[in-house]
Amino acid sequence: MNDGTSSPGTRVLGALTLIGMAVLLAFALVISPADETQEETVRMFYVHVPTALVAFGAFFLTVAASVGYLLRRSEGWDVMAGASAEVGAVLLAATLVSGMLWGRVTWGVYWTWDARLTLTALLFVLVLGYLAVRRLPLERERRSRLAAVVGLLLGPATVACHYATTWWRTLHQGPTITTADAKMDGTMLFTFFLGMVVFGLLYVWLLVHRFRVLWLEHRVEDLGLDEAIAERRREAVGVS
Amino acid sequence: MDVTPRPAPPEVPARRGSGGRGPLMALALVALLAAVGFLLVKQVGSASLYFYNADEAVAKRSQLGDRRFRIQGTYEGTATDVAADTIRFAIVFGGEKVVIEHTGSEPALFQPGTAVVCEGRWSPDGRVFESDRIEVKHSEEYKAENPDRVDPAAP
Repeated sequence: MNDGTSSPGTRVLGALTLIGMAVLLAFALVISPADETQEETVRMFYVHVPTALVAFGAFFLTVAASVGYLLRRSEGWDVMAGASAEVGAVLLAATLVSGMLWGRVTWGVYWTWDARLTLTALLFVLVLGYLAVRRLPLERERRSRLAAVVGLLLGPATVACHYATTWWRTLHQGPTITTADAKMDGTMLFTFFLGMVVFGLLYVWLLVHRFRVLWLEHRVEDLGLDEAIAERRREAVGVS
Repeated sequence: MDVTPRPAPPEVPARRGSGGRGPLMALALVALLAAVGFLLVKQVGSASLYFYNADEAVAKRSQLGDRRFRIQGTYEGTATDVAADTIRFAIVFGGEKVVIEHTGSEPALFQPGTAVVCEGRWSPDGRVFESDRIEVKHSEEYKAENPDRVDPAAP
Protein backbone atom coordinates (compact mmCIF):
# COMPACT_ATOMS: atom_id res chain seq x y z
CA MET A 1 0.00 0.00 0.00
CA ASN A 2 1.33 3.36 -1.05
CA ASP A 3 1.50 6.05 1.62
CA GLY A 4 1.31 9.01 -0.73
CA THR A 5 0.03 9.89 -4.14
CA SER A 6 3.30 9.10 -5.89
CA SER A 7 3.95 6.25 -8.27
CA PRO A 8 7.06 5.27 -10.28
CA GLY A 9 5.82 7.51 -13.09
CA THR A 10 5.42 10.61 -10.93
CA ARG A 11 8.78 10.00 -9.26
CA VAL A 12 10.48 10.04 -12.66
CA LEU A 13 8.46 13.12 -13.61
CA GLY A 14 9.39 14.82 -10.36
CA ALA A 15 13.08 14.05 -10.78
CA LEU A 16 13.01 15.35 -14.36
CA THR A 17 11.26 18.53 -13.20
CA LEU A 18 13.78 19.23 -10.45
CA ILE A 19 16.76 18.56 -12.73
CA GLY A 20 15.13 20.73 -15.38
CA MET A 21 14.62 23.53 -12.84
CA ALA A 22 18.32 23.44 -11.97
CA VAL A 23 19.32 23.60 -15.65
CA LEU A 24 16.79 26.38 -16.25
CA LEU A 25 18.22 28.37 -13.34
CA ALA A 26 21.72 28.01 -14.81
CA PHE A 27 20.53 29.19 -18.22
CA ALA A 28 18.27 31.95 -16.95
CA LEU A 29 20.68 33.43 -14.41
CA VAL A 30 24.14 32.68 -15.79
CA ILE A 31 24.40 31.36 -19.33
CA SER A 32 21.87 33.57 -21.15
CA PRO A 33 23.04 37.12 -21.85
CA ALA A 34 21.69 40.35 -20.40
CA ASP A 35 19.44 42.42 -22.65
CA GLU A 36 20.66 45.47 -24.55
CA THR A 37 18.13 47.84 -22.99
CA GLN A 38 16.64 45.91 -20.05
CA GLU A 39 19.95 44.48 -18.93
CA GLU A 40 19.65 41.88 -16.14
CA THR A 41 15.91 42.36 -15.61
CA VAL A 42 15.20 40.45 -18.82
CA ARG A 43 15.80 37.27 -16.79
CA MET A 44 12.28 37.69 -15.38
CA PHE A 45 11.06 36.70 -18.84
CA TYR A 46 12.06 33.06 -18.30
CA VAL A 47 9.67 32.72 -15.35
CA HIS A 48 7.02 35.27 -16.22
CA VAL A 49 6.13 34.11 -19.73
CA PRO A 50 6.34 30.30 -19.28
CA THR A 51 4.24 30.37 -16.08
CA ALA A 52 1.64 32.54 -17.84
CA LEU A 53 1.43 30.32 -20.92
CA VAL A 54 1.34 27.07 -18.93
CA ALA A 55 -1.35 28.58 -16.68
CA PHE A 56 -3.38 29.46 -19.78
CA GLY A 57 -2.97 25.86 -20.96
CA ALA A 58 -4.09 24.63 -17.53
CA PHE A 59 -7.27 26.72 -17.73
CA PHE A 60 -8.02 25.34 -21.18
CA LEU A 61 -7.76 21.83 -19.75
CA THR A 62 -10.22 22.90 -17.04
CA VAL A 63 -12.60 24.13 -19.75
CA ALA A 64 -12.21 20.90 -21.76
CA ALA A 65 -12.69 18.74 -18.66
CA SER A 66 -15.74 20.81 -17.64
CA VAL A 67 -17.27 20.17 -21.07
CA GLY A 68 -16.36 16.50 -20.63
CA TYR A 69 -18.12 16.45 -17.27
CA LEU A 70 -21.25 18.17 -18.56
CA LEU A 71 -21.49 15.66 -21.41
CA ARG A 72 -20.50 12.48 -19.59
CA ARG A 73 -21.09 13.25 -15.91
CA SER A 74 -18.05 11.17 -14.99
CA GLU A 75 -16.12 11.88 -11.83
CA GLY A 76 -12.74 11.75 -13.60
CA TRP A 77 -13.52 14.81 -15.72
CA ASP A 78 -14.72 16.73 -12.68
CA VAL A 79 -11.59 15.95 -10.68
CA MET A 80 -9.38 16.71 -13.68
CA ALA A 81 -11.00 20.15 -14.12
CA GLY A 82 -10.46 21.00 -10.45
CA ALA A 83 -6.87 19.76 -10.31
CA SER A 84 -5.86 21.67 -13.44
CA ALA A 85 -7.43 24.92 -12.18
CA GLU A 86 -5.61 24.59 -8.84
CA VAL A 87 -2.19 24.20 -10.45
CA GLY A 88 -3.02 26.90 -12.99
CA ALA A 89 -3.92 29.31 -10.17
CA VAL A 90 -0.53 28.75 -8.55
CA LEU A 91 1.27 29.33 -11.85
CA LEU A 92 -0.78 32.47 -12.57
CA ALA A 93 0.11 33.79 -9.10
CA ALA A 94 3.78 33.31 -10.05
CA THR A 95 3.10 35.21 -13.28
CA LEU A 96 1.55 38.10 -11.36
CA VAL A 97 4.32 38.32 -8.78
CA SER A 98 7.15 38.07 -11.33
CA GLY A 99 5.35 40.56 -13.57
CA MET A 100 4.95 43.09 -10.78
CA LEU A 101 8.64 42.90 -9.87
CA TRP A 102 9.63 43.15 -13.52
CA GLY A 103 7.21 46.04 -14.07
CA ARG A 104 8.67 47.97 -11.16
CA VAL A 105 12.18 47.94 -12.62
CA THR A 106 11.29 48.41 -16.29
CA TRP A 107 8.04 50.42 -16.44
CA GLY A 108 8.64 52.11 -13.12
CA VAL A 109 5.42 50.83 -11.50
CA TYR A 110 4.35 47.58 -9.86
CA TRP A 111 0.85 47.74 -11.23
CA THR A 112 -1.28 49.71 -13.64
CA TRP A 113 -4.79 49.11 -14.89
CA ASP A 114 -4.13 48.53 -18.56
CA ALA A 115 -6.17 45.93 -20.42
CA ARG A 116 -3.63 43.10 -20.01
CA LEU A 117 -3.11 43.58 -16.28
CA THR A 118 -6.81 44.16 -15.61
CA LEU A 119 -7.79 40.99 -17.45
CA THR A 120 -5.07 38.97 -15.71
CA ALA A 121 -6.39 40.14 -12.34
CA LEU A 122 -9.90 39.25 -13.47
CA LEU A 123 -8.78 35.79 -14.61
CA PHE A 124 -7.05 35.18 -11.29
CA VAL A 125 -10.14 36.18 -9.30
CA LEU A 126 -12.29 34.02 -11.57
CA VAL A 127 -10.10 30.97 -10.93
CA LEU A 128 -10.23 31.56 -7.18
CA GLY A 129 -14.01 31.86 -7.48
CA TYR A 130 -14.13 28.61 -9.42
CA LEU A 131 -12.08 26.87 -6.72
CA ALA A 132 -14.42 28.32 -4.08
CA VAL A 133 -17.44 26.90 -5.92
CA ARG A 134 -15.75 23.50 -5.82
CA ARG A 135 -15.75 23.73 -2.01
CA LEU A 136 -19.43 24.63 -1.64
CA PRO A 137 -21.16 22.33 0.84
CA LEU A 138 -23.51 20.81 -1.73
CA GLU A 139 -24.41 17.36 -2.84
CA ARG A 140 -21.44 16.32 -4.97
CA GLU A 141 -23.30 15.97 -8.25
CA ARG A 142 -24.83 19.45 -7.98
CA ARG A 143 -21.54 20.98 -6.90
CA SER A 144 -19.69 19.38 -9.80
CA ARG A 145 -22.29 20.56 -12.29
CA LEU A 146 -22.18 24.11 -10.95
CA ALA A 147 -18.38 24.08 -10.97
CA ALA A 148 -18.34 22.82 -14.56
CA VAL A 149 -20.57 25.69 -15.68
CA VAL A 150 -18.38 28.26 -13.89
CA GLY A 151 -15.31 26.48 -15.26
CA LEU A 152 -16.46 27.17 -18.80
CA LEU A 153 -16.03 30.90 -18.16
CA LEU A 154 -12.28 30.39 -17.86
CA GLY A 155 -12.22 29.87 -21.64
CA PRO A 156 -13.24 33.36 -22.83
CA ALA A 157 -11.41 34.98 -19.88
CA THR A 158 -8.17 33.24 -20.83
CA VAL A 159 -8.50 34.10 -24.52
CA ALA A 160 -9.24 37.78 -23.73
CA CYS A 161 -6.29 37.91 -21.35
CA HIS A 162 -3.95 36.34 -23.89
CA TYR A 163 -4.92 38.67 -26.74
CA ALA A 164 -5.28 41.82 -24.60
CA THR A 165 -2.05 43.35 -25.89
CA THR A 166 -3.13 42.77 -29.50
CA TRP A 167 -6.75 43.88 -29.14
CA TRP A 168 -6.17 46.93 -26.98
CA ARG A 169 -3.56 49.60 -26.34
CA THR A 170 -1.60 48.56 -23.31
CA LEU A 171 1.49 49.48 -21.36
CA HIS A 172 2.33 45.79 -21.41
CA GLN A 173 4.42 44.89 -24.44
CA GLY A 174 3.02 42.76 -27.25
CA PRO A 175 3.90 39.14 -27.94
CA THR A 176 7.60 38.36 -28.42
CA ILE A 177 7.18 34.79 -29.54
CA THR A 178 4.99 34.67 -32.61
CA THR A 179 4.82 32.00 -35.26
CA ALA A 180 6.61 34.06 -37.90
CA ASP A 181 9.78 35.10 -36.16
CA ALA A 182 10.68 35.53 -32.54
CA LYS A 183 12.03 38.90 -31.56
CA MET A 184 14.63 37.34 -29.35
CA ASP A 185 18.25 36.31 -29.67
CA GLY A 186 19.30 32.64 -29.83
CA THR A 187 20.37 31.74 -26.29
CA MET A 188 17.54 33.84 -24.84
CA LEU A 189 15.04 32.07 -27.06
CA PHE A 190 16.43 28.66 -26.08
CA THR A 191 16.20 29.58 -22.39
CA PHE A 192 12.58 30.58 -22.91
CA PHE A 193 11.73 27.25 -24.59
CA LEU A 194 13.54 25.43 -21.80
CA GLY A 195 11.37 27.38 -19.36
CA MET A 196 8.26 26.24 -21.23
CA VAL A 197 9.34 22.59 -21.02
CA VAL A 198 10.31 22.77 -17.34
CA PHE A 199 7.19 24.62 -16.20
CA GLY A 200 5.18 22.25 -18.41
CA LEU A 201 6.71 19.28 -16.59
CA LEU A 202 6.08 20.95 -13.23
CA TYR A 203 2.45 21.46 -14.20
CA VAL A 204 1.94 17.82 -15.25
CA TRP A 205 3.70 16.55 -12.15
CA LEU A 206 1.59 18.65 -9.78
CA LEU A 207 -1.55 17.93 -11.83
CA VAL A 208 -1.19 14.14 -11.39
CA HIS A 209 -0.68 14.53 -7.64
CA ARG A 210 -3.58 16.94 -7.21
CA PHE A 211 -5.80 14.67 -9.32
CA ARG A 212 -5.04 11.76 -7.00
CA VAL A 213 -5.53 13.83 -3.85
CA LEU A 214 -8.90 15.17 -5.03
CA TRP A 215 -9.94 11.66 -6.04
CA LEU A 216 -9.07 10.41 -2.55
CA GLU A 217 -10.99 13.33 -1.02
CA HIS A 218 -14.06 12.11 -2.90
CA ARG A 219 -13.48 8.60 -1.53
CA VAL A 220 -13.29 10.01 2.01
CA GLU A 221 -16.53 11.86 1.33
CA ASP A 222 -18.11 8.56 0.19
CA LEU A 223 -16.85 6.77 3.30
CA GLY A 224 -18.41 9.46 5.48
CA LEU A 225 -21.72 8.95 3.71
CA ASP A 226 -21.53 5.14 3.96
CA GLU A 227 -20.67 5.46 7.64
CA ALA A 228 -23.65 7.76 8.27
CA ILE A 229 -25.99 5.30 6.55
CA ALA A 230 -24.54 2.36 8.47
CA GLU A 231 -24.97 4.24 11.75
CA ARG A 232 -28.63 4.96 11.00
CA ARG A 233 -29.14 1.28 10.16
CA ARG A 234 -27.61 0.20 13.47
CA GLU A 235 -29.85 2.65 15.30
CA ALA A 236 -32.90 1.33 13.46
CA VAL A 237 -32.00 -2.23 14.45
CA GLY A 238 -31.42 -1.14 18.05
CA VAL A 239 -34.81 0.57 18.30
CA SER A 240 -36.92 -2.25 16.92
CA MET B 1 -25.19 5.69 26.81
CA ASP B 2 -28.11 7.63 25.47
CA VAL B 3 -30.71 5.13 24.34
CA THR B 4 -33.72 7.43 24.00
CA PRO B 5 -35.07 6.94 20.50
CA ARG B 6 -34.48 9.83 18.20
CA PRO B 7 -37.42 11.30 16.38
CA ALA B 8 -37.53 10.17 12.81
CA PRO B 9 -35.84 12.66 10.52
CA PRO B 10 -38.26 14.67 8.42
CA GLU B 11 -38.93 13.23 5.01
CA VAL B 12 -36.43 14.67 2.63
CA PRO B 13 -37.98 14.98 -0.79
CA ALA B 14 -35.95 13.05 -3.30
CA ARG B 15 -33.88 15.45 -5.36
CA ARG B 16 -33.01 13.65 -8.52
CA GLY B 17 -31.28 16.39 -10.48
CA SER B 18 -33.52 18.91 -8.63
CA GLY B 19 -36.49 18.08 -10.82
CA GLY B 20 -37.04 20.07 -13.95
CA ARG B 21 -35.68 23.32 -12.58
CA GLY B 22 -32.01 22.34 -12.77
CA PRO B 23 -31.38 23.03 -16.45
CA LEU B 24 -33.42 26.24 -16.23
CA MET B 25 -31.36 27.47 -13.28
CA ALA B 26 -28.14 26.56 -15.06
CA LEU B 27 -29.31 28.42 -18.14
CA ALA B 28 -30.20 31.48 -16.07
CA LEU B 29 -26.82 31.34 -14.38
CA VAL B 30 -25.01 31.10 -17.70
CA ALA B 31 -27.04 34.02 -19.08
CA LEU B 32 -26.28 36.10 -15.99
CA LEU B 33 -22.60 35.34 -16.08
CA ALA B 34 -22.46 35.97 -19.81
CA ALA B 35 -24.02 39.39 -19.19
CA VAL B 36 -21.49 40.16 -16.47
CA GLY B 37 -18.71 39.01 -18.79
CA PHE B 38 -20.03 41.16 -21.60
CA LEU B 39 -20.17 44.24 -19.38
CA LEU B 40 -16.68 43.57 -18.10
CA VAL B 41 -15.26 43.21 -21.60
CA LYS B 42 -17.09 46.38 -22.65
CA GLN B 43 -15.72 48.14 -19.60
CA VAL B 44 -12.22 46.93 -20.31
CA GLY B 45 -12.80 47.99 -23.90
CA SER B 46 -13.60 51.58 -22.98
CA ALA B 47 -10.84 51.65 -20.39
CA SER B 48 -8.67 50.10 -23.06
CA LEU B 49 -7.71 53.52 -24.31
CA TYR B 50 -4.83 53.35 -21.91
CA PHE B 51 -3.09 56.27 -23.60
CA TYR B 52 -3.44 58.76 -26.43
CA ASN B 53 -0.55 58.89 -28.84
CA ALA B 54 1.09 62.32 -28.95
CA ASP B 55 -0.52 63.25 -32.29
CA GLU B 56 -4.00 62.25 -31.04
CA ALA B 57 -3.56 64.22 -27.82
CA VAL B 58 -2.60 67.30 -29.84
CA ALA B 59 -5.59 66.88 -32.16
CA LYS B 60 -7.95 66.51 -29.17
CA ARG B 61 -6.34 69.25 -27.09
CA SER B 62 -9.44 71.45 -26.77
CA GLN B 63 -11.67 68.43 -26.21
CA LEU B 64 -9.42 67.06 -23.46
CA GLY B 65 -9.31 70.42 -21.64
CA ASP B 66 -7.91 69.90 -18.15
CA ARG B 67 -8.89 66.23 -18.03
CA ARG B 68 -6.30 63.80 -16.71
CA PHE B 69 -5.10 61.24 -19.27
CA ARG B 70 -2.03 59.38 -20.46
CA ILE B 71 0.06 60.37 -23.45
CA GLN B 72 2.50 58.16 -25.33
CA GLY B 73 5.47 58.93 -27.52
CA THR B 74 9.17 58.40 -28.00
CA TYR B 75 11.40 60.42 -25.73
CA GLU B 76 13.71 62.52 -27.91
CA GLY B 77 16.65 64.76 -27.19
CA THR B 78 17.67 65.29 -23.59
CA ALA B 79 15.77 66.42 -20.55
CA THR B 80 16.53 69.76 -18.93
CA ASP B 81 15.93 70.74 -15.32
CA VAL B 82 13.40 73.52 -14.94
CA ALA B 83 12.92 73.32 -11.18
CA ALA B 84 14.23 71.31 -8.26
CA ASP B 85 11.95 68.35 -8.92
CA THR B 86 10.79 69.12 -12.45
CA ILE B 87 12.31 68.20 -15.81
CA ARG B 88 11.33 69.19 -19.33
CA PHE B 89 11.68 66.92 -22.33
CA ALA B 90 9.96 66.21 -25.62
CA ILE B 91 8.12 63.14 -26.89
CA VAL B 92 7.31 62.49 -30.53
CA PHE B 93 4.66 60.36 -32.15
CA GLY B 94 2.99 60.47 -35.57
CA GLY B 95 4.95 63.57 -36.56
CA GLU B 96 3.78 65.58 -33.53
CA LYS B 97 6.11 66.76 -30.83
CA VAL B 98 4.81 67.38 -27.31
CA VAL B 99 6.79 69.07 -24.58
CA ILE B 100 6.40 67.36 -21.22
CA GLU B 101 7.03 68.99 -17.88
CA HIS B 102 7.38 66.16 -15.43
CA THR B 103 7.40 66.55 -11.67
CA GLY B 104 8.56 63.58 -9.63
CA SER B 105 10.89 60.67 -10.19
CA GLU B 106 11.64 58.83 -13.41
CA PRO B 107 11.95 55.07 -13.95
CA ALA B 108 15.43 53.60 -14.30
CA LEU B 109 14.97 52.80 -17.99
CA PHE B 110 13.90 56.36 -18.82
CA GLN B 111 16.34 57.37 -21.54
CA PRO B 112 16.24 58.97 -24.98
CA GLY B 113 14.87 56.72 -27.68
CA THR B 114 12.45 54.76 -25.44
CA ALA B 115 8.68 54.92 -25.71
CA VAL B 116 7.18 56.46 -22.59
CA VAL B 117 3.69 56.90 -21.22
CA CYS B 118 3.19 60.06 -19.15
CA GLU B 119 0.17 60.65 -16.94
CA GLY B 120 -1.15 64.15 -16.31
CA ARG B 121 -2.97 66.94 -18.16
CA TRP B 122 -2.48 69.77 -20.62
CA SER B 123 -1.28 72.98 -18.96
CA PRO B 124 -3.96 75.72 -18.85
CA ASP B 125 -2.44 77.43 -21.89
CA GLY B 126 -2.13 74.07 -23.65
CA ARG B 127 1.55 74.50 -24.51
CA VAL B 128 3.02 71.73 -22.38
CA PHE B 129 1.80 68.48 -20.89
CA GLU B 130 2.15 68.48 -17.11
CA SER B 131 3.01 64.97 -15.99
CA ASP B 132 3.50 63.45 -12.56
CA ARG B 133 4.01 59.83 -13.53
CA ILE B 134 6.18 58.29 -16.22
CA GLU B 135 5.98 54.68 -17.28
CA VAL B 136 8.51 53.24 -19.70
CA LYS B 137 6.80 51.23 -22.42
CA HIS B 138 9.55 48.84 -23.32
CA SER B 139 9.48 46.87 -26.54
CA GLU B 140 8.89 43.14 -26.94
CA GLU B 141 12.28 42.70 -28.59
CA TYR B 142 15.19 41.23 -26.73
CA LYS B 143 18.77 41.44 -27.91
CA ALA B 144 21.88 40.20 -26.20
CA GLU B 145 24.14 42.92 -24.94
CA ASN B 146 27.02 43.34 -27.35
CA PRO B 147 29.29 40.42 -26.46
CA ASP B 148 32.36 42.26 -27.78
CA ARG B 149 31.76 45.15 -25.46
CA VAL B 150 34.66 45.64 -23.08
CA ASP B 151 33.51 46.06 -19.52
CA PRO B 152 34.92 49.42 -18.44
CA ALA B 153 35.07 48.18 -14.87
CA ALA B 154 37.40 45.34 -15.85
CA PRO B 155 41.01 45.83 -14.83
